Amino acid sequence: MTAPSDQPRATMSLSPATLQGLEARAAAVDESDVTATQADDVDLAITVRDLSAWYGARRVIRDVSMDIRANAITAIIGPSGSGKSTLLRCLDRMHEVVPGARSSGTVSYQGVDIYDPRIEPAAVRRTIGMVFQQPNPFPTMSIYDNVAAPARFNGLVKGKAAQDELVERCLRQAALWDEVKDKLGHGGTSLSGGQQQRLCIARTLALQPKVLLMDEPCSALDPIATLQVEELMSTLKADYTIIIVTHNMQQASRVSDVTAFFNMGEDRAGYLVESDATRTLFTNPKNQLTEDYVSGRFG
Amino acid sequence: MASDAVVVFAPTSRWRRRKANLFAFLAAFAFVLALIPLVAVFGYIFVNGIHSLLSVDFLIQDPPADLSATGGGVRNALIGTLEMTGLASLIAVPIGLAVAIFAIEVGGGLARGARFLIDVLAGLPSIVVGIFVYASVVVTQGHFSGLAGSLALAIVMLPVVTVSAEEILRLTPRPIAEGARALGLARWRAVLSVFVPIGLSGIVTGILLGVSRAIGETAPLIFTSLGNNFFTLDINQPMQALPLLIYRNALNSGFATARDRAFGAALLLILIVFGFNLVGRWLTARRRLAGSSR
Amino acid sequence: MTQSAEVPEPPRLDLGGLRRRGWTGDLTFRAILSTLTLGITVVLGVMMVESFISASPVYQKFGIIGFITGSTWAPSFTVYGAWAFIYGTFLTSLIALVIAVPVSVLIALLLTELAPARLRAPLGIAVDLLAAVPSVVYGLWGLLVLVPAMRPLEQAIAGTLGRVVPFFGPPTPGSSYFAAGVILAVMIVPIVSAVTREVFASTPRLQREAVLALGGTRWDVARTVTLPIGRAGLLAAVVLGLGRAMGETIAVTMVIGNSDNIGKSIFSPGFTLASVIANEFNEATETLHPEALIALGTVLLVMSVLVNGAAIAIRNRFTGGSRSGF
Repeated sequence: MTAPSDQPRATMSLSPATLQGLEARAAAVDESDVTATQADDVDLAITVRDLSAWYGARRVIRDVSMDIRANAITAIIGPSGSGKSTLLRCLDRMHEVVPGARSSGTVSYQGVDIYDPRIEPAAVRRTIGMVFQQPNPFPTMSIYDNVAAPARFNGLVKGKAAQDELVERCLRQAALWDEVKDKLGHGGTSLSGGQQQRLCIARTLALQPKVLLMDEPCSALDPIATLQVEELMSTLKADYTIIIVTHNMQQASRVSDVTAFFNMGEDRAGYLVESDATRTLFTNPKNQLTEDYVSGRFG
Repeated sequence: MASDAVVVFAPTSRWRRRKANLFAFLAAFAFVLALIPLVAVFGYIFVNGIHSLLSVDFLIQDPPADLSATGGGVRNALIGTLEMTGLASLIAVPIGLAVAIFAIEVGGGLARGARFLIDVLAGLPSIVVGIFVYASVVVTQGHFSGLAGSLALAIVMLPVVTVSAEEILRLTPRPIAEGARALGLARWRAVLSVFVPIGLSGIVTGILLGVSRAIGETAPLIFTSLGNNFFTLDINQPMQALPLLIYRNALNSGFATARDRAFGAALLLILIVFGFNLVGRWLTARRRLAGSSR
Repeated sequence: MTQSAEVPEPPRLDLGGLRRRGWTGDLTFRAILSTLTLGITVVLGVMMVESFISASPVYQKFGIIGFITGSTWAPSFTVYGAWAFIYGTFLTSLIALVIAVPVSVLIALLLTELAPARLRAPLGIAVDLLAAVPSVVYGLWGLLVLVPAMRPLEQAIAGTLGRVVPFFGPPTPGSSYFAAGVILAVMIVPIVSAVTREVFASTPRLQREAVLALGGTRWDVARTVTLPIGRAGLLAAVVLGLGRAMGETIAVTMVIGNSDNIGKSIFSPGFTLASVIANEFNEATETLHPEALIALGTVLLVMSVLVNGAAIAIRNRFTGGSRSGF
C-alpha cells in the first residue's frame, strides 16, 4: 500500500530519469527475482501461441507466441503500429468487440483456452481485467458507483456493507482513498486526469481479477500522476499478474520484470522480436533491432 | 494447475444471463411489433388491390361520377399526381439546392434566416402548409387549382431536399475544395463542376426521398388542388391526385366499388412511393459501399 | 495544402481576362443564389402572415385566449373555441408516445448494441420504410382493419377498468382517441427510433468497452452507458415525435370518429386540430367557419414551431448540432 504522504517524496527522487540511472534501479528490483526467472518451474499465467489478429482484411499482428509470468510485470514495448494494443486486447477478448475484428491462434490462462467456445467472453474479462489508455470513468456515475459498478454487473458482493468495504478497499489499493473519501458522491469525471485513471484502476480491481492488462495507462497523465500509477503497479504485483503496454522505454525499465519488444513487419503486421528479463533486454539484447530500438536509433 | 474451464472462468450467474437474454428478446420483440403494421398494411392492400391494378382499364379510365357505380379507373388521379409532383419538383429542387449552396458557400444572416425557416418548415405539419397556400394563393386567385397543389407539395419537398443537399455538400473533403480553387476555378465553377458532382448521388437521394414524401401527401391538397372527378391537364383547374381519390373513396367504403377503387389506388400509390424511396436509399447505400472500400 | 483558414477570396483586382470572367461569373452565381434564397424566405414569410390575416376575424371576435380556451365549437351558432381539438391533439399524441417511445428505444438499442453488424443497415431500412407508407394508406387500413380489430380490446378494458375509471369507460364505438393514438404510434416509431439510433450510435466507444471489459453484458452496456449518456438526445427524439404526432392529419381523420365535443373517455370519438381542419374544410359554409379553421391551423402552427424548436434546441445543446434524421 502506498501511503499518500509518501508520494511527493517519491516524486522528487525519481523525476530526472536517465536510462542508466533507471537501470540500476531496475537491476535492484530484479535481484530478488532472479532465481525465479531462471528456475524451470516459473509460474506461467498466460501462454500465447501463434496468435494473429485482423481488422477486416488487414492483419495487425502475426504469429505471436509468448509466455507471461504470474505475479510479475510484463512490459510490451515497440513502435506505434506494432500491434501492442491489439495483442493486449486479444488477451481478454476485447479485440472481437470491434466490428470486423477477428483473431486466430490460442491464448491460454492457467491451461484453459480463453477462446474455447464454452467460455463466455464476459467470464474471461472478469478474470483478466483491463485498464484503458484514456481514463474512462462512467460520466453519469459517482465515484462510489464507478467502483461499485463491476460488482453490480457480476453480482460479486451481497449487501451494502460488503459493497462499502469493497469500494474502500479498492480505492485504498489504488492509492486514491484519502483523496476522495470525503466526496464519494461526486461525479467520477470531476476528478483530475491522474485521479480518474486511478479511479479506473480501482474499478478494475473491484472486479477482483487475477490479471491486470494496462494499455498505456499513463499516456494521458502528467509526470506526477504517472509516478503514482507506477508505484501502484509495483505494490499490486504481489497479488496480480500485470501486463502493461507502453511507448515509454524508461517506464518499461522502471517497472517491469520482463519486457517484450514488438516491431512492425514489412506486411505492416506487428510481430514479437524478442522477450526477456527486462534488464537483459535493455542491456544485452539478442536482436540487433531491439538494440537499435532501446538505444533510440529508431521508433 | 486447474484446467477446467468453468473453474477458471466462472460463468455469468443464471439470473444475470436471464436478464441479458430478456433484454435481447424484448428488443427483438419491439422490432417485430413495429414491423407488423408494415407487413399487415402492405399485405392487406396488396391482396385487396392487386386485381384492380392488374386490369389495364384501371390505369387508363377515369372513375365514374358516382362513387358507388362500378367500373372506371384512376387515370385522372394518377396523371394529376404525376403532374403536380413533377411541377413541385421543378420548383423545389432548384430552390432547395440554391438555399443549400447559399448556406454553405455564402453564409451570413440571410443564409441563417433561410436555414432557420427551412428547419421550421421541416417540422411543420403538411396540413399547415396547405393552409399557407390556401390563404395566399387560393383565396387570391379565387379558385382551387393544380398549381396551388403543386406549390403546397413543393413546400413539403423543400426542407427534405435542402437539408440532405446541405449535409452532403458539407461532407466534400476540404482538400478537394481547396484544390479546385487553387486551380483557378471561380467559385461558381467549383461548386457546379466539382462539389455537386461529388455529392450527386446523395443529392439525388434527397430529391427522391422528397418526391416520395410529396407523392403520398393528402392533407395539403385538400385546400389547394381540391380534387376533381374528371380528367384534366390544366393546372388552373382543380386537379385530382391518388391520395385524394383514396381518401374520398375510403370515406365511402360502405360501397364495395368505392372500397375496391381505394385499394387499387392505394396499392398503386404504395408501389410508386416505395419505388422512389428504395431507389433513393439504394443510391446512397451504393455510394457508401464504394466509399468504404476505397 | 495550405491552411484551411486561408481560402482565397476571388481576386478583386484585374488579373487578366480569365480571372475577370470568373469573377463576374461568381457575382452572377451569387446573385442567383441570393435571389432564390431571399425569394423563398419572403414567400414563406408572406404565406405565414397571410394565414394569420385570414384567421384574424376569428381572433378579433373571440380574443386569442377566448378562442384557445373556448370549449364549444358550434358553426351553426357562429361559436368557435379550439379547446376540444387542442385536448384531442395532446391526448392522441400522448397515447402515441406512450406506445411508441419504449418500442423505439428498444429498436434503437437492437440496431446499435445487439444486432450483428451486417444486419443493422437492412433492419434499419425496414423501420424507415414504415415512414414511407402514405398517411392515407395507414388511414384506409386503420379504418377497415385496425378499428374493428381493436373494438373487442376496447370493450374488455371499458368493461373492467372502465367501471372504476371513467377515463377508460364506455361507449366504445371503435373510432376513438385511442385508435388515433395507436395509428400515430405506428407512424412516429420511424422518426423517434431514427433519432434515438443516431444518439445511441454516438455513445463513446471507450465507455461501451469499459462495461464489457468489466465483465458486463449488453444489458449492462445499455443501462449504465448508452441510456444515461443518451438521455438528452432521447428527450429530443421524444419531443420530435410529439411534433410529428401533433401534425399528422389524414390517418387520424379516418379513425378518430369525428366529434366536435370533448370525449370523456379515451375510447370516445373526438377530433384533433389537424383532423378537424381536414374534415370540415370542404363543407365550411357557415359564417366565419373557414376563418375559424384557418385559425385552428395557426394554433397548430405555433404549437408545432414551439415543440420542434424545443427538440432542435435540446439536440443542438447536447449532441453538438448534428441535424440529420429530419
